[in-house]
Parts: sequence; structure tokens; C-alpha cells
Amino acid sequence: MQRIAFLFGALLLMSVAAFGDDAKDALADDNVAADAPVSADTASDAGVPESDAPAKADSASLGSQMEDIKHGLLDLKRDLAVLEEDLLYPASSQVAVFLSMDVGEFFALDSVTLKLNGKDVTHYLYTQKQADALFRGGVQRLFVGNVKQGQNQLTAFFTGRGPEGRDYKRATTVTFEKSFEPSYVELKISDSTAKYQPEFVATVSP
Amino acid sequence: MPMKFAKWVAAACLCMPMMSHAVAVSDVAPDFTLKSVDGTNTRLKEFRGQVVLINFWASWCGPCRQEMPLLERIDERYKGAGFTVLGVNVEGKAGPAKEVASKAGVSFPVLVDEGQKVSELYDLESMPSSVVVDRDGVVRYVHKGYKPGDEAKYLEVVKKLIGK
Repeated sequence: MQRIAFLFGALLLMSVAAFGDDAKDALADDNVAADAPVSADTASDAGVPESDAPAKADSASLGSQMEDIKHGLLDLKRDLAVLEEDLLYPASSQVAVFLSMDVGEFFALDSVTLKLNGKDVTHYLYTQKQADALFRGGVQRLFVGNVKQGQNQLTAFFTGRGPEGRDYKRATTVTFEKSFEPSYVELKISDSTAKYQPEFVATVSP
Repeated sequence: MPMKFAKWVAAACLCMPMMSHAVAVSDVAPDFTLKSVDGTNTRLKEFRGQVVLINFWASWCGPCRQEMPLLERIDERYKGAGFTVLGVNVEGKAGPAKEVASKAGVSFPVLVDEGQKVSELYDLESMPSSVVVDRDGVVRYVHKGYKPGDEAKYLEVVKKLIGK
């Protein structure tokens, strides 16, 4: 983690230094242009004061350089996030749990608690906005962690309001075999119109 | 021996950043979601765009109970201008929190810090503690304890932030 932070800091400094050099060059060119003798005829023909035109061109160039640096930094940030995840959660032990919803009438989600191999790993409370976002198709990465290879058990407890506004608590358990590849568990809450009840399903891939 | 001592000093210096520190001015206020005494889940980040005064209190704390009606007055006065107070009860039990809040006549959200996770996150050093967060989620003022007259300072900070 510290190495990644150091690497990021070093790359940031290099980018700023490179930008600083470019800016200095641009300013130096500007100074040279300002020092150059200005012909009165040229200035009057252009209809624009001589000093404004190169300044505008330089600021546009600086602006585009800034944009390039920002894009570069965003790409770097994305790459660092991927590297960090690979470092903290290597594929051979990574398990990620995702939650999605497809409910309307039968369940209003309040909280989800996850237990992995009997140990509490996360407890998440949902505000109305978050529950709406899930209902509109959002998928939440609820948990990412490390487990040993072999048999593992995940239990998810869902708390909320069920049909007719009654308190509702349900659990679903899934047992999965952890291999060398990352394991993904999808928890899905959906309406079952046949039973007039919400359904809680957990599926594992691969 | 000097090498061994130097290694210990270096190790201590490396460990320093990992030690928790109380939330300070200019820090981004740590986000949290807690259940309120009326059962709704409330998340700090959803108040971005508003000035928020987070007040940490406990039912056994006299100055906390003394301060509460004053916070209610500030909340009523400025809530139309994009301000809100969030009370966080650090004991983690909804029953006593609801009782005290009801007696104090507060209408702002009173949240219950079950498990004291948010108290640890903010690394509180005294009770009550108040943290004022600006519209961008940045901490602008931290106040530890309460004595009569402190509310004037809250007003000053809140008016300044609302005006921005």
C-alpha cells in the first residue's frame, strides 16, 4: 500500500515537473514574442493588439496540456486502483459479493448482513436513495475479501419491510468452492408473483 | 545498539501515519450511515449541498442535555437556508436516545451509533463533541465539550458557511 502511494506520488511529481517545464517554455516563448519589435502596420491590420494573440494561443495550449495531464492522472488512478486490488485481494483468494434488486411491492430493503464462514464481515444500512438506486438497476459491490481455497460458506441476512409493511428478515446461504480464480457471488432480491413474497437468491460464478 | 535504536525509531515513524487521529479542520468528514430513533437510515453524504452540524452526545452527559435545546433553536432558525443538525447518540441504544431527545423537544434527526463505530471513526475525545461540515463535505469546525455561551460560536460558524 505504501509502495503504491509512493509510486503514485513520484509519478505525480514527474507529471507536474514536465508540465512546469512546458509552461516555462511557453512563457519563455511568450516573453520572446513580447520583446520582438511590433510593427504598427501589422497591429492595425489585424485589428487586435499584438500582445493578445500569442497570449490567447498560449493559454489555449496550456488549457489543452492541463486536460491531457488530468486525463493521464485519471488513467493512472484507475490503474493504481486495479493494482491495489490485485495486491490486497489476489485472485487466488478473492471473493466479491454483489447485490442487485428487482422488487417493487413485496420488499423494502433496510439492511444486509454478511457472514463468511461464520464470521460477520459486513453490515450495510440502506437509505431510501440507495434502495431506489438498486431498484432502478444499480448493482452494489457489497463486499470484497480473501478466503482460503476449498469449501466456504456465505450467509446473507436481509432485513426490511415485507408485504403489508411487516418487519421481514430472511437469510440465504450458499456454499462455494474457492479455486485459483476470483469468486463472485451475486445476491438477488426479486418479486415472486406466484407466492406474493420476495425471493432471495444467491448464485456463485465461476 | 545505536543501529537497533535507529531501527526502532524508523519503525515508529512508519507506524505513525497508521495511528488513528481525531477528525480535524479541512479533513473530509468520514461518511457513515446510521439508523435514526424513528427507524430511518440516514447517511451523511446525502447531505452534501447542506451545512451539517454533527453533535455527538450521550444520555448520561449533563452538558449534552443542556446543549440540545439550543441546537434545536439553531436548526429551526437555519434549516430553510440549507442547514441541518444531526444528533448522534454514542451509547448505541435507541430507547434512551429517543427518550432524552423527546424530553429536549428536538426535531432534527437523532441517530444511534450501534457498536460505536462512528464514534471510533471520528475519534472523539470529549462529550459532547460537535463537528461542523460545509456543503462540500469538508470539516470546518470542531468543538469539544459545552459550556453556556458556546452556542454563539456555533452560530458564527454556521452563518459564515451558509452564506458561502
